[in-house]
Parts: sequence; structure tokens; C-alpha cells
Amino acid sequence: MERARRPLPTFRESLAFVWRSLRSMRTALVLLLLVGAASVAGSLVPQTGVSEDRIAALVRDHPLRAAIFRRLGLFDVYGSWWFTTLYALLLVSLATCLLPRTRALARNLRARPQFAQDLVGLRHHAERTLPGEPAEALSRARRVLRRRRFRVAAGRNGGGPMLAAEKGMAREIGSLAFHWAFFLILVGAVYGKATGFTGRAVIIEGSTWTETHAAYDGNIREGSLFREDHSGVGVHVRDFEATYRDDGTPKDFVTHADLLDADGNLVRSQDIRVNHPAELDHVKLYQFGYGWAPVIEVRADGRTVASSPVVFVRDQVEGVDQNALPWRGVLRLPSLRPQVGLEFLLWPDRRALERFLLTGVSSPMLRPFEPVLLVTAYRGDLRLTASQNPTRLDTSGMERFLANAPVAEGRALDVVHGLTLSFPELREYTVLQVTRDRGVPIMLVAAVMILVGLLPALYGSRRKVWVRAEPAGEGTRLEVGGFALQRKAQFEEEFARLVDDLGAAPGGR
Amino acid sequence: MDAERLSGLSDSAFTAALVGYAIAAAGYIHYLAFRRRPVWVAARAVAVVSLVAHLGSIVARGLAAGRVPWGNMYEYSSVLAALVVAAYLLIVEWRSKVRTLGGFALGFAVVTMAVARMQFYVVPAPLQPALNSSWLKVHVISAIVGSSLLTLGSLFTILFLVQDRREGRRAARAEAVRAELAAREPAPILGGSVDANPPDLVPGADEPVPTRTERRGRLPSAAVIDRVAYRTIAIGFPIWTFAVIAGAIWAEQAWGRYWGWDPKETWAFITWVVFAGYLHARATAGWKGRRAAVLALIGFASLMVTYYAVNLFIVGLHSYRGF
Repeated sequence: MERARRPLPTFRESLAFVWRSLRSMRTALVLLLLVGAASVAGSLVPQTGVSEDRIAALVRDHPLRAAIFRRLGLFDVYGSWWFTTLYALLLVSLATCLLPRTRALARNLRARPQFAQDLVGLRHHAERTLPGEPAEALSRARRVLRRRRFRVAAGRNGGGPMLAAEKGMAREIGSLAFHWAFFLILVGAVYGKATGFTGRAVIIEGSTWTETHAAYDGNIREGSLFREDHSGVGVHVRDFEATYRDDGTPKDFVTHADLLDADGNLVRSQDIRVNHPAELDHVKLYQFGYGWAPVIEVRADGRTVASSPVVFVRDQVEGVDQNALPWRGVLRLPSLRPQVGLEFLLWPDRRALERFLLTGVSSPMLRPFEPVLLVTAYRGDLRLTASQNPTRLDTSGMERFLANAPVAEGRALDVVHGLTLSFPELREYTVLQVTRDRGVPIMLVAAVMILVGLLPALYGSRRKVWVRAEPAGEGTRLEVGGFALQRKAQFEEEFARLVDDLGAAPGGR
Repeated sequence: MDAERLSGLSDSAFTAALVGYAIAAAGYIHYLAFRRRPVWVAARAVAVVSLVAHLGSIVARGLAAGRVPWGNMYEYSSVLAALVVAAYLLIVEWRSKVRTLGGFALGFAVVTMAVARMQFYVVPAPLQPALNSSWLKVHVISAIVGSSLLTLGSLFTILFLVQDRREGRRAARAEAVRAELAAREPAPILGGSVDANPPDLVPGADEPVPTRTERRGRLPSAAVIDRVAYRTIAIGFPIWTFAVIAGAIWAEQAWGRYWGWDPKETWAFITWVVFAGYLHARATAGWKGRRAAVLALIGFASLMVTYYAVNLFIVGLHSYRGF
């Protein structure tokens, strides 16, 4: 009302600007809340890449519902067209709000503080008479304002010389930095995902793994703009170690690795453990999993047909301590006639196996103790032309001729006449997650902008102060006026202290 | 002292604090209803002593486990309750000079601690490897501090809604009386019973005032509650933001991705979005006041889902497993 009539160009400008931004702000607010509401869906419906097994269960048990969900993109909410559209709309709405604000800020930062016409009409106003010349009083006032980190401009207005000062631009700068950061997040996320990859490397103790496409054995997801520029760095795993506390809870999982450059030269040795990834040539290596890889040798008629560590996996059974379960592995021997397939169960701890056989209940096997392999053998057609499950045999064209025959570590077993199997050694393997995401530094910059911008945006306030000096008899009449755009109650005190500093006791309003 | 005795000490102090908070909450509610100053003094003293005992319990717990004392739900709840009480005493009573809202903050602490004691109690133990990170300390403590402030702000928003409605009704009633009086004549001079202009934020602004006939107007004015609520949320929001960012940094180190839309992450994000909406709504025409307040309540509900429901009912990626 009264304030709206005040003839300050900047103020009128800012009023118009506030009106404009309010219009789009309401839209932005609604869009923001819609993004929040849409996110809820993604936490209720199982998501691709987060809970695959629950998706599979849903598809199995409720095929119709699963089909509808899939059509609506509910299994991948955050990558679905409607979520992306919502986010894009929010950013557009944000941009229409931010662009004029950024222009106005740039203008304000370049421009000198504006001169007010009438100080008496301002919300805060004080007058005092000082001894000395007006010019002297003004230069003193200028120092006081500078010390309080105001931007000060000197000029003339109507009657006499005058100072215009303002401070608190940090509020708008912070707010803009905070909001622009969300565009940076979009850029960082899209760029990082599109040009990067994430995969899993299974590396047996004592072996070296090279970062190439084939080495992932299909366990890799690549971004759409990834140009197969794999780093070629190598990881030699000397040893993997899983340690547990006395009560059986895990204590540490660590891969002792040598990191090699693309030419195979040792760069450094490093321990990779949970929460402590290794980085080499922008590729990050994370401790992800582990397992057993017994070395299995098979000889047929005196000739070695297999001699290597075999990667074993463990099933997950609801409600059963995983450490109490045996590990599964398979070995295919297609060169034999007829073809032979071997299925193994590994009990790393013999005592657990014995307990299981006697009582039907196993016990956790945290450290190996006289490990035992149970061998089941099939002969017939391995059907190698069909797609193969690496941990299960397709036994539909085969006949079993041996079931659960035990082999202890260091021992051998005559499977049939002329076919011997031995289990010389139990090794471990480690699973490393291998990731390259070049967007991470961009995200970090955005995060800093958000945090650093948020504080002045929430707590800062822009305030303006004018000082006019006129000769009055022997001395100078100093007139001070000011107002704050935000946090007006606090400015009251600040203004009073400022007037005190300027050498004049606060006058009437 | 050995770990077992420290653990026992921590449990006793926890129980003592819980009882103390309950007593203090009763005292504050009594003060809210009857404005007996000695009751407030006593309630505050009990609250402060209980808080000291509570902090002792937290420290002892940390010493017993040999790590920071926020490694599981029980400890998280305990620290959250302590911070809600501390934030109430500092921001509301000391800084804002509002004394009548203590029953609500302390009541929240009592409920949180009782649930923690009954549902989440575990003996102190070291952390599993996935949680063993220096970012844990930063991420979790900022999450607790942030959520304690957001909780407190939301509790006050409930009170704001109650009081705002009451004031609206009172104003409507006064308007009706005025209209009726105006219809008769001569027009009488009306006394200052209608509190159209809320008192400023000055010491004891919410002190006594109401006469015996105005029993129901015992809370501070809606404007005062709203300002306290806003101030609390405006401090909590950047801390919550930091917690989310620290969580992303930790996730990048532990899991090789900074954001994976895990249920916990998703709900932390939803909470963040809703409170961001609240802060914006207060500056948006048509959303100020009650609508913004409703947003804060939705944010609080989302915070509770983030905190309880995700841990208890929604399956997520928070376990270390073999390949």
C-alpha cells in the first residue's frame, strides 16, 4: 500500500519480478510435489536393478498385474517416460523462473546502488547533527558502511551529497546457485550414466583379471554412449580374506590386490575392502562379494581333461543362515564320449556336513575345515548348443551314474573305470564391482552448490541504506534511511546499531 | 569400566531419562493448561536433568560398543529423542522464549524412546563391515540432527493448525457479535478480547494473558507458533540436505553408485522434496499458511516412513551378501 507507492525503480522492478516469478512458482511447486508423489510408487513396486527377485516373483504369481505394471513403467519408475517428463517439466518451469532472476542479479551486481529520493518515507529513518563538514561526515560514513561490508556508491541527490549502500546479494546468489545445481545434477547423471559402465569381475585367488568387455562374462551394463573404451587395466588378486567375529557376524572382507596398468606393469598393491574401493585410470573397483573355487582335476585314461579352479555359488534360502548352506558348482566335460557333466556340492567345513547328515541341521561354515566335495556325475548329451546356465547342468538328455560321492581336499575319486577326479586345493574368489562414472565430479560440484547456496538463500537478507549530509549551522545534519527486503525484524536492530556507529543517535521514525 | 557395566549404566540412564521426560511432559502440559509458573520451572529442571542423563546414556553406549553410538535403530531412536529435546530447549524455550510447547516435544521423545526400548533394543556390538565407514558418522548424525529438527518443526505445525483454526473461529464469533451489536444501536465500544494482531516474538509473549473465561486460548498465537515452526524447519532442512548428500557420497564409496533409488534413498528424497515444497509454499501466493502447514505434516509423515517403515517393512539393499 504505502510501500507500493514508493518511487524506487528497483523496487518497482522487483515487484514486477516477484509477480512474474510467483506465477511460475506455483506451477513449479505443484510439479515439485508431483515428482515427490511419483517417487512413492517406486518404493512400493519392486524396481529393476534393486529387487529383481521380487519382480520375478510378481511376474510368476500375478502375471496380469505384472503386465500392467510393466506397461506403465512401474518396474523402472525413475527411468519411465512419465517420470522423466515430470522432471523435465519441473526443470523447464524452474528455468523460466531462474533466467530472469539471473539476468536481474547480473544487472544488480554491475549497477551501482540506486539513490533514493525521499529518506523520510522509508521504514527505518534517523537524523542526527554532527560537528564538521558534510564531506567529512560522508567520508566517515562511507568507511563505517564499508567496514560493515556494504557496497557503497557516492553521488548527489536533490539537496546535497549522498551515499547509497546495499548488502546481502549473497541471498540471491545462493538461491540461484542452489536452483541451477539441479540442472547440473541432470547433466552429471545423464553424462555419467551414458558414457560409463558398471560390471562385475569374478577373480580367483592367484589369477589376473584384465578390464576388457569379454572379461565381464556378460555381467556388465553399459551406457548408451559408451564406446567400448575399456581401460585395459589389470587386477591381480593375491589373496581374499573374510574374517568373522566370535559370534559369527562378519568383521571384514578384503581383497589383497596388485593393480596393473594397461601394459601389465605394476602400479601399486592395494587392499580393496567394503567402503574402501580402489581407483585406477578412472575405473573404480569395489569389494562386492566372494566365494569358493575348488581346484578340480579330471583325468580320463591317463590324460588330463580338466584342471582348474571352478567358481562355486551359494543359493539364498529364506530364513536360513547363508553360511550354513553348501556351495554349488558344475563342470562340463564335452571332450569325453559320451559327454560327462559333473555337479558338485561343496561343504567347506566337514563338521557341518556331518552334523547335517546326522541331525538334518547344518551349522555356519565361516572358516574352511577339511572341506568335502560331493560329486554327482551324469553322462549323455550336454546340449552345449543351447544356452548354458553356468551353475546348473541341463540333465534332460543325460543319465546319472554317480550320486553325492564325497571327495575330501587332497584326495582323489575313481568316478568310473578310467575316469578319476581329484580335489587338490580349495581356493577363494572375490567379486569386484567395476564402475566408471565420469559424472561423479559434476555431481560433487552440484552438491557443493546446493549446500553452499542453501545457507544464504534461507538466512540471508538484502538491505539498503542511504546517508545524506547537509550543512546545518556550524555542523552537518546527517540523515540515514534504510530498509530490508527480508528478515525485517532483525534489520531493526542492525539499523539502530549502524546509526549509532554513524555518529548519530537513532532519531524518531 | 568394562563394556558390560557401561552397557548396563547406559540402559539405566536411558530408563531414567525416559521417566524424567514423561514427568516433565506432564508438567509442561499442566503449565499449558493452568499457567502455574513453579510447575514450568520444575518441569524444565526435570527435562534438563533427564537430558543430561540421556546424553550420559548415549556416551556410555558408545564407549561400551567402542564406536559412535548411532549404529542401529535403537541408538538412532535414542539420539533422535535426545536431539528433539535439546533442540526444543535451545530453539524454542531459550531462543524463541516460547514455553508452552514443551509437552509436545517431550511427548514425542517419550514415544520414540518407549518404542525403541520395546522394539529395537539390542546389546551394544561393533558394526558390520558395510557400515564401517567414516561417512557413517557424518551421514547418520546429520540425518538424526536434521530429522529431530524437522520433527520438532512439524509438531509445532500441528499446533499452528489447531491454533489457527481456533483463532479463525474466535474471529468469526467476534465478527458475528460485532455485527449483531452493530445491528442494534447504539454501537458499543468493543474491548480488546479479539487478538487480531499477534504479539511479537518477545520474552514471555505467550505468557498468561487469557482471562478465566478464555480457557481454550492457552497456546501462543498462531503467528508465533508458525514462526517457531518455520525457523525450526529452516534449520533442519539444510542439515537434512547435507545428510542426503553425505549418504550419496557414502553410497558411492560402499556400493559404487551415488544414487540407486533404494527405498531408503527414495523416501529420504521424498521427505526432502516435501519440505522443500513447504519452504517454497510459504513464499507462494495461495499456499501460505494452512496449505504450507499441511505440506509440513506430509513431510513429517514421510520422515516417519523413511525412519521406521523402510527399515521394518520394505526390503532394501542394506545387507552384505555373497555373489
